[in-house]
Amino acid sequence: MPGIDIEGVAMRFGQVDALKDVSLRVPEGAFVTLLGPSGCGKTTLLNIIAGFLAPTRGRVLFDGQDVTGLRPEARDTAMCFQSYALFPHLSVQENIAFGPRQKRLERAETARRVTGLMEQLGLAPHAAKLPNALSGGQQQRVALARALAVAPGVVLFDEPLSNLDAKLRDQVRTEIRDLQRRVGFTAVYVTHDQAEALAMSDTVFLLNGGVIEQSGGPRDIYFRPRTRFAADFIGAANLHDGPISGGAMDTPFGPVPVDAPDAAHRTLCWRPEVVRLTEAGALSGKVAHVAFQGGWLDLFVTAGGQTLRLQVSGTHDIPEGATIRFDIPREAVVVLKDGANA
Amino acid sequence: MWTLPRLQTLLASLLTAVFLLWLIVPFAMALLWSLVDPGTPWSYPDILPPALSFERWTLMWETTTLSTAMFNSYTLAPVAAVTAIVLAAPTAYAFARIDFPGKAAAQIVTLTPLVLPGFVTAVFFASILVSFGVYSRYGAILLGHVVLFIPYAVRILTVSFAQVNQEVINAARDLGASGWGVFRAAFWPVLKPGVLASFLIVFILSIEEFALAFIVGSPSFTTIPTILFSYLGYDFIRPNAAVVALILVVPNVLLMLVLERLLQSANPANVSGKG
Amino acid sequence: MPKAVKLALLLAPAFGLVVVMMSLVIWRAVAQSFGLYNFNGEDLLSLRHWAEMFATRRYWNALEWSAYVATTSALITLAIAYPLALWLRKPFAGSYLLSALLKAPYFVPGLVAVFLLLNVIAFHGIVNQALMWLGLTDRPIRLQNDRNGYGLIALQVWKQLPLAFLLLQGAVQAIPDPVLNAARDLGAGPVARFRKVVLPLTARAMQAASILIFINVAGDFTFQATVGPTRENSLATLMVQYQGTNYGDWNAAAVVGVTLMGLSLVGAVVFTALVQGLTRAMERA
Ligand SMILES: Nc1ncnc2c1ncn2[C@@H]1O[C@H](COP(=O)(O)OP(=O)(O)OP(=O)(O)O)[C@@H](O)[C@H]1O
Ligand SMILES: [Mg+2]
Repeated sequence: MPGIDIEGVAMRFGQVDALKDVSLRVPEGAFVTLLGPSGCGKTTLLNIIAGFLAPTRGRVLFDGQDVTGLRPEARDTAMCFQSYALFPHLSVQENIAFGPRQKRLERAETARRVTGLMEQLGLAPHAAKLPNALSGGQQQRVALARALAVAPGVVLFDEPLSNLDAKLRDQVRTEIRDLQRRVGFTAVYVTHDQAEALAMSDTVFLLNGGVIEQSGGPRDIYFRPRTRFAADFIGAANLHDGPISGGAMDTPFGPVPVDAPDAAHRTLCWRPEVVRLTEAGALSGKVAHVAFQGGWLDLFVTAGGQTLRLQVSGTHDIPEGATIRFDIPREAVVVLKDGANA
Repeated sequence: MWTLPRLQTLLASLLTAVFLLWLIVPFAMALLWSLVDPGTPWSYPDILPPALSFERWTLMWETTTLSTAMFNSYTLAPVAAVTAIVLAAPTAYAFARIDFPGKAAAQIVTLTPLVLPGFVTAVFFASILVSFGVYSRYGAILLGHVVLFIPYAVRILTVSFAQVNQEVINAARDLGASGWGVFRAAFWPVLKPGVLASFLIVFILSIEEFALAFIVGSPSFTTIPTILFSYLGYDFIRPNAAVVALILVVPNVLLMLVLERLLQSANPANVSGKG
Repeated sequence: MPKAVKLALLLAPAFGLVVVMMSLVIWRAVAQSFGLYNFNGEDLLSLRHWAEMFATRRYWNALEWSAYVATTSALITLAIAYPLALWLRKPFAGSYLLSALLKAPYFVPGLVAVFLLLNVIAFHGIVNQALMWLGLTDRPIRLQNDRNGYGLIALQVWKQLPLAFLLLQGAVQAIPDPVLNAARDLGAGPVARFRKVVLPLTARAMQAASILIFINVAGDFTFQATVGPTRENSLATLMVQYQGTNYGDWNAAAVVGVTLMGLSLVGAVVFTALVQGLTRAMERA
C-alpha cells in the first residue's frame, strides 16, 4: 500500500493548461479527496496518477519510486470510473475476475476473491448477468469490486457516485469508506460534491483552475478557508471587508471580533452556523427572510444594505421582520489571504 | 523528434497522398480521354492528347443512344424514389411506433433484396415477366428498382419516425391540432431530412443499377450503366466509355456528398449498417 | 378499425411488396431449376437439370472460382480494413481526410471503377509505364484480364473496402475510452486488450462485414465480365450465359442461380463460424 507523492506536475492540452504545477502528498493508507469545480483538472490529475496520461512536467512517486514513465498496466493502481466502464461483453463475475486473470493469479485464489467481493457487495445473485441488465447502483458496485479484485495498493475514484440517487449515494459512500478501512488501500477520491469530500476524507485537496487552492483536514478546510474561493466553494460563508482595529472590524451589524493585528484593509470570513443567538449579543440585524430546513433554520439578516446568513437550530421560532441580537466567537473568524489588500 | 503522433501524421499523409493519386490520376485520365479530339487520336508515346475538344461529347450525344439512355435513367430514378418513399412510409411508421410480435424478424426480412445476389433477382424477375407477358420495359424496371431499394427507404424512415417525439404529438393535440396539423407540427419537421435522404439514396442507386436494367432491358431499353457496359465489352471504345463514365459518376458523387451531409446532420444512424 | 387490420395495411406496401416479390423470385429460381416453368418444353418436375449441370465442368469451375474470389476478397478486405479502423479510432492530424478517402470508392459505381482500372492498367497505361521506369520490366505487360484474377480481386477489395471500413470503424469507435483504460488499469497490455476487449466487442461488425462482402463478391457479374480472367466464369456470368440469347436455357440458369444463393448462404454460415471461433480462441489463449 504505497504513499503517493506528486511533484510539480503540469499538464497542457494544446492551448489549455489543465494542471499548473501541482504538488501533493498522500500518506500510505490515507483516504484523500480532490475537490473542485467542473473543469478544474481533477480527472486529469487522477489519469496522471493511474498512468493514462503522461504529465507535461513533474513527477509521480509511489513510495518514493518514480513511476512517471511506468505504463498503467504495471502500476499498483485500480480506477473506479465515473462511467463505470464495465466490459459490456462479460458477466458480473467475469468482469470482477478480469484483473486477477490478467495478473495470472491462481484459479482458486481468483475464485476466492471474486466470490468474496460479490458476497461483500451483495452482487452474488447477479453473478451471471451482463452489465446492461444491472441497475446503476449495482453497476457501481461491480466497478468497485472489479477494482478491488486486483488487491491494489491505490484505488482511484473518479466521481463514482455522481450517477446514483441521494439515498444510494449515502449508502455506497459508507460502504466505500468501510471497505477502505477493512481491506486497506490508499484512496484518491475525486468529487465536486463538498459534502461528500468533507464526510469521507482524511485530507481534502481543493483544486481550482489547475492549482491546489488549499489542503487540509475536513474541519480545517471548512472552518478555516484561506481564500474567497475556498470560502465560497465549500458551504456558505459570510464575508466582511474593512479595516481591523483593536481586535475587531466595524460592520453595520456591530463589531465582528477577530484575532488579528490592526490593518487598513482585510476580509473576514465566518460560517453561518458558528453564530450564537443571545439577548446580550454585540451584533444585531433585522430578519428579512426565514427558511425552515428541518434540522435547522436559515436566517437572512440585514443591516445597512448588507445581508448575512445565519444558521440556528430548527427548534427556534423566529418571525420575519424581528430584530435579533447575536454573537460570533472570535476563534471562528478567519482573515482571508486574498481578501482586500492582503 | 520522431514522436508517435508525428509518425502517425506522417504515415497518414503518405497514405492520403497515395489514395489521392489513386483517385485523381484515373479520373484525370478519364477526363482527358473524353476530351480527345476524334480527328487526332491519342496514342503511345504521347504523354498528353495532341488536341482537346468537346467534339466527342457532341458526337456521342448526336449519334449514339446516349441521350435516350440518359432520358431513361433520369426519368426512372425520381419516379422510383418517390414511389419507394410513398410505399415505405407506412411500413416505417409501423416499425418505429407500433409494437407487434415478430417485428424484429419482419425488419430483417425487409432487407432480403439487399442480400440476394443482384443477377439472380434480375434473371428470375425477368422469368416472371416472361410468364406474365409483361412487355413494358420501363414499368418492369421501375417495379424492380422500387423493390430493390425500398429497404433503404424503410430503414431511414424508421429511424426518422422513431425520432418523432410523443410529447410533441401530445402537445399539438392538446393545443387542438387536427390530424393534418399534428403531422405538420410534430412529424414533418423530423421526417423531412429522412425523406430527402431516402429520395437521394434511391435516386442514386437507381441511376447506378446495372443487373436488372441489363437483364430486363437489353437489348432495346438502355440506361446509362448498360451503355457503359457495352463500351467496356468486346468493342472497347475508350473515349466513348470515358464520356459515359463521367456522365454516370459525376452527378452521383455530388448527390452522395449532399446525402452524407444530410445523414450526418439529420440522424447519426447509418444507412449501410448491418444488413 | 381493428388493430391487426390497421397493422396489416401499414405493412402491406413495403414489407408486403418485398415479401411477395422476393418469394416469387426465389420460388421461380428454385422451381425452374427443377424443371417447372419450362419455356422450352413441357413442365416436368425432375432432377434432370441438376444432374446435367453436375456433369458439366464449367459449372464446377464457376462455383469454385466464385467461392475462391469471394473468400479471398473478404479476407483481404478485412485484413486491410481492420487495422485501419483500429489505427483511425482516435482522431489525429490528417486522420479525417484519410477516413474520408477510404470511403470514397463507395461513391464510385462499379462500372466506372472498371473503366478507371482499365485505363490505369492499359498496355501503355500508367502502371506499365511505372513498371518500366522502375526497371521491373523492359516491355509492357498485359495486365488486363490477367490469368490469376489479381486485377479482379484488387478491384473487388477496392470496391468493398468502404463497407468493411464503415462497419468496423463504427464498432471500434463505439468502444468507450474508459473501458480500454479500465483494462489497462487491471493489467492488460496492448495484446491482451485487443484479444479480450476489442475483438469481442467488434466481432459482430466483423461478422456482418465479412458476410456482406462475401455475398456481394460471390454474386458478381460486372467485374468478372470486364476485368476477370477470360477463361473463368463466375456463377453469375455463367447463369447469364445460360439464360441469355445464346442458349435460352432458363432451367440451367436456374440451377446456377440456386447454387449461387446456396453459396451465399454457406459463405454466411462459414464466416459466422470463423469469426466466432477466432474470437473465442483469441479470448481464451
Ligand atoms: N484530452 C483533452 N484534450 C484537451 N483538453 C482536455 C483534455 N482533457 C481535459 N481537457 C481540459 O482540461 C481541463 C481539465 O479537465 P478535467 O477533465 O481534468 O476536469 P475535471 O476537473 O475532471 O472536470 P469534471 O468535474 O467536469 O469532470 C478542462 O478544461 C478540459 O477541457
Ligand atoms: Mg472529471
